[in-house]
Formats: sequence, C-alpha cells, structure tokens
Amino acid sequence: MTEQELISIPLMVDVPYRFAAGKYMSKFLIELRDNGKFFGIRCPKCGRVQMPPRVVCAVCHVKNEGWVELGHEGTLLGFSIVHLPLTDPTTGKPHETPYTYGSVRLDGSDSALDHLINVEPDINKIKVGMRMRVVLRPREERIGDLSDIIYFEPIAGES
Amino acid sequence: MKRKVAIIGGGQTHHASHRKDVNQVELVNEAVRAALADANMTIDEIDAVLLGNMEFFEGCHMTDCWLADGIGAYGKPGLKITTGGTVGATIVVAGAHHVASGLYDKVLCVGFEKQEEGDSSAILSAVAHPLYGRFLAGAAVGYFAMMGASYMQAYGAREEHSAMVAVKARQNALKNEYAHLKLDITVEDVLNSRMLAYPIHLLEMCPTSNGAAAMILADEKTARERSDKPVWIRATETAHNEQFELDWRDVTTKKPIFSRVAAERLYKKLNVTDPTKFFDVFEIYEPASWAELVWYQDLGLCKPGEGFHLIEEGRTEIDGDIPVNPSGGVLSTNCIGASAMLRIWEAALQIRGDAGEHQVPKDVNWALTTAYGGTNWTVMTALSKEWDE
Amino acid sequence: MSDQEYPHFEVDQHITVKSNYYAGMIGSQFFVTLRDEKKILGTRCNTCNLVYFPPRSTCGRCFSKLTEDDFVEIGPQGTLETFTKVNYSEPVQPRKAPFIYGIIKLDGADTGMAHFIDEVNFDDLYVGMRVQAVFDEEAQATMLAIKYFKPLEEK
Repeated sequence: MTEQELISIPLMVDVPYRFAAGKYMSKFLIELRDNGKFFGIRCPKCGRVQMPPRVVCAVCHVKNEGWVELGHEGTLLGFSIVHLPLTDPTTGKPHETPYTYGSVRLDGSDSALDHLINVEPDINKIKVGMRMRVVLRPREERIGDLSDIIYFEPIAGES
Repeated sequence: MKRKVAIIGGGQTHHASHRKDVNQVELVNEAVRAALADANMTIDEIDAVLLGNMEFFEGCHMTDCWLADGIGAYGKPGLKITTGGTVGATIVVAGAHHVASGLYDKVLCVGFEKQEEGDSSAILSAVAHPLYGRFLAGAAVGYFAMMGASYMQAYGAREEHSAMVAVKARQNALKNEYAHLKLDITVEDVLNSRMLAYPIHLLEMCPTSNGAAAMILADEKTARERSDKPVWIRATETAHNEQFELDWRDVTTKKPIFSRVAAERLYKKLNVTDPTKFFDVFEIYEPASWAELVWYQDLGLCKPGEGFHLIEEGRTEIDGDIPVNPSGGVLSTNCIGASAMLRIWEAALQIRGDAGEHQVPKDVNWALTTAYGGTNWTVMTALSKEWDE
Repeated sequence: MSDQEYPHFEVDQHITVKSNYYAGMIGSQFFVTLRDEKKILGTRCNTCNLVYFPPRSTCGRCFSKLTEDDFVEIGPQGTLETFTKVNYSEPVQPRKAPFIYGIIKLDGADTGMAHFIDEVNFDDLYVGMRVQAVFDEEAQATMLAIKYFKPLEEK
C-alpha cells in the first residue's frame, strides 16, 4: 500500500507598515539624518541619559526632559563574531561572514547601541572596553534610520 | 494565593524536527488527550481553556480560532495569550490565577509550536523594534553570544565551560523519551562543532522543535479528591525589563536585571535564604548554554562569576546536589510556545517521582522553574509536594 | 534652548513572511481526493450525528476522535446559505473586485463552505438557491481545486 501523500500549503504574507516615530524619536532621527548628531534624553529624577530617547523613564515613571548632545565616541561593552550568513534586511543579501557585531555605549549615554563593528573578526584583536567611534554614511545617503550608521570602528592609537 | 492551586495532570508530545503527519489542531490535541488521561478526567469537566504560542510563528494569526476544537474549547471560557518565549509559563500562571480566584475549579493550559510551518527568522525580525532594531534584525543571533564573550572576559571562564553545559543537557535528554535532540556528545565534540557566532558553537544551540504541552490545574478540594500526587503551585513571579535595554548581556552590570529581581521577590515570598538548600531541582529556560551559567548566579545558586565552577564540579548534573535541567532543558527541546510550560511540567514530574530515567535520585519536595521571553523578562514558579491542609 | 518643532517622522517598512501549513492525515486525504477524484469529503461524528466540513480529527462538541473511517462524501451540489458581493479591491484579495462569494451548505454536510460564486448575476442570487461545484481540470491540492460554485442547471 502506497504511503499517504502528506499535503502542505505554502503561503506568503507580505505586509507593508508605516510607523510613526513619535515626538522624541522624530527629533533623534531627523538630527541624525540632517546633522549627523546623536541626541540622548535625561531623566530629571535619576539622571540617566537614554539614547535612543524615550518619553518616559522606565524606572522613575516620569517624563524625560533635557536633551543631551552625545559625541561620536564610546566604549565597546560586548561583541560577537558571527559566522552565520544572516540576511541584512536593508540589502536583502546575506552578510559576508565572518563579521563582528557589538554593543557600544557612547560617552555621556547610559544606554548602549548595537551595531556592526569594523574590525578584523579575530578574537585576539577585539576586547571589551575598546574605544570606538561612529562612522556615518554621507549626508546624501542618510534616511533617518539607525542604518545611517555604517558601523563602529576602533579609535586608532587607543587601546 | 486566595485559594490553593495544584497541578493534577499533564502531557506532552514527542517533540520532533518534523510532524508533517499532523496539522496544528492535531498536534495540540495529542498533548491535551495525554493530559486528560494523566488526570483521569474528561474534557467536559474542564471549566476553562487557556492557549498560548508565539504569535505568528506558524504564519497563522489567532490560532485560538483554529484550535478550538482540538483543545476542547468549544463553548467554554478561556484566553489566548502570547508573550514570546515565556508564554508556556504565563499560561500556567494565568491558569493558577483563574483557579486561585475562586471563579474556576479546573483549568486546562495548553502551549505549542509547530515551527516547521512558519518563517521564524522573518517573524523574529518583526519582533525587532521598527525604529531601533529592525535595521539589524539579521545580525541579532549575537545577543547570547555577546553575553558569553562578556562572561568569559569578566570572570575567566572558558569555552569549555559552556560546552560542559551543552553536554549535560544532551546527556540528560538521552534519558527523556519526549526530548527532541538526543545526542551522545562530549565536550570535545562541542568545541569541534561549527562556530556560529563567537563563542557559540553549533552543538550549543537549542533546536526549533514541533511539539505541544498541556497541564490541568485544580483547586484544593478537586486536587485532593482526584489526584494521588497533586503538585502545588506555591508562588509565581514575573519581572519585565525595560525595552531595548540590552545591558543584561554585560554580565557585570549593576542594573537591576529581570532575572535577579524576580528571583529575589520569589525567595522573599517563600522565606528562602539559600536556594541551593531550599529547592531540590531546577528547570530553567536556557536559550543558550552561556545563559545557564548566568542563571546560576541570578538565581543565587552561586556568587557572581562563580557559575562555571558549579558545572566544573558537576554539582548541577542530574545526580549532583543542585540538579539543573534533568529533562535536557530548552537546549534539547524548543517548541517555543510549550518550552516554558515544559519546565513546569518536568519539575512537576520530578516532584511526583514520575520522570522515569531522568528522575533525580533524591527526595524532591521543592522545585523552581524559570522562563525567558524576548523582551528580556521572566516568569518563575515554585512548586512543592506538600501543602499542609 | 528652545525646543524647536520637528516634523512628524514616519518610517516605511515591510515584512515578508513565508509559511507552510501542514494539513495532517485527514486534511491530506481531503486535498488529495479533491485534486485527483474531484470528490469532496467531510468527517462524520457518529456520537453527535454531525458531518463536518472542513473534515477534522476531533469533534468540537463531544471531543470524539474522528478518523478516516469517518469520511463521508459531501456535495458537489449544495444550497446557498448567504452571499455577498465585494466591491472594493485590496492588494491582498485573491480576485479583482467586483466578485461574489458565499457560504454553501453542501449536500450531506452540517456546516458550510465559503467559496466564490460565479457564472451568475448578483441580482439573481437568493438564499436557498441550489448550486454546484465547478472543478479545475488542472487542480492543485488546495481549496482552489474547486474554482467556484455556479447555479445548478435546471433539468
């Protein structure tokens, strides 16, 4: 007796979205796009500076107020060297492997930002605590998205 | 709790890479029938049905619509809950609240995932925040990888220690007939396996499984009448983290972290001073082997940075004094909607003495379970064998 | 420093999700029979004396297990229970508006089937109209193995 043919139905859902960035993120993304600047917001009660900025401090439940302009330099908090060729959603193509990905806290900010790190994917060349700087796309290529940052790279000469 | 709540039955499917022979309804139905048989009950006796899974993982919204028949929900009150990786535990906590409130006596809780049917990476990229995270969606396998790198650098652990956790999980799973991945491997096998994202190797990854779990909760009167071995839910605790604050991957951070906050509150509720002496077995939700080492310290089983000594000394092995994940854990079976429920069910089996080959060889009176969800929050439960009348 | 007004910023994105839904044993037999034999199957619950479309493995009312021994042939004719005409087009729709669909109670079944209604003017439709399935000669194992329902020819 032949084996039961098992049926499956392939389906595709393609959904477009339009997200409103909101008051604080609008400022953050527009400043990033137009002026290449990073803005954090401070909580008036606990003093934490959050970047990207949000309206309410999660710990204190008060409205965050007090914009802080942050520089382009920071410290590497964590990293990984990725060998899986995952798809870059901005290009639709897989990342070239291996590549380095990490978390950087910009000077003056209390929160960190994840991004690609432009450093040789060699475990001996990367250390938590390394000083990093942001590398932005040129103005004409920036759209007001965190992908306007191409990557972070080590600051030359600092260990 | 206003009323006492006990687990009086449960069941799970044999978790697998593929279950092409069943549709989603039939998959959950297997677990539900197993739970009813275990509790010696019929579906008519169930007062409410709670269902959970990872939303849209099967490419199907509102699975509650399509699964109503299979879970016996037709005409009954109930809820559908989606909370990412914690949903299996959230469902049990919600079920416990239903019973504790006095409004329902017997509640069926169901969790499942049929991951072969969906597009996990596309959906997970949709979990990423559109403004802060979507641009990096493809790179984010590194969350736990970063935690591992941070742990090694901060405390002097080595890749071997994570490999030992993976070996423990896989060897325990060999003794669990329901587990998905049953691999007879050594530390060397793990370290030789393909590197996915430094420092995580292929054999340290959890699988994506197809499977379901179901549990029946009841009030004290029903539990004492209908069950020889009710397992009491003594306390539950949930703690959410801030959105997008991924600082928990920096293991030395001093910020209050969801796992520690939940554990502290739970221990306070039960007057626990030393969890290694209070609890007899732990079933924790470890999405990666490094996460288990960090859970050891967050649960207070050791001081910060000493977790890797516990695994070195074999203390968290199935026959150790602090057994962790005798079932094989999430590293062996990961049908996301059920994974957190399986931690609670496996802990209940340990208390009942029904875990078969993977039963820990000691008297089990108290068990602790944890769950982990995508926005870095957790749901913990504490179960006990007795609750004085 | 005065807080200048920033225009409202919006981000356009989209998600493409591919999935693969398994029919199970009963479902597979249903689709294979539909595709290869142009026959429509339901499952009967003998306890409740109900015939279900779509065929299912558990009776929702009494929780009995239903197996392939419980298959019964239903249709291909049936009665129109209700219907509507869709006048607006959305990209996600399977057909361009205007199109008609309705719920058909196939002969022998106790539950209805939603499908397109064609080869008829909307104004001639009425609840209770007898209709029949029109099969696709080159059918796949999907519900579109039936192209649509049309009014039953009067003999």
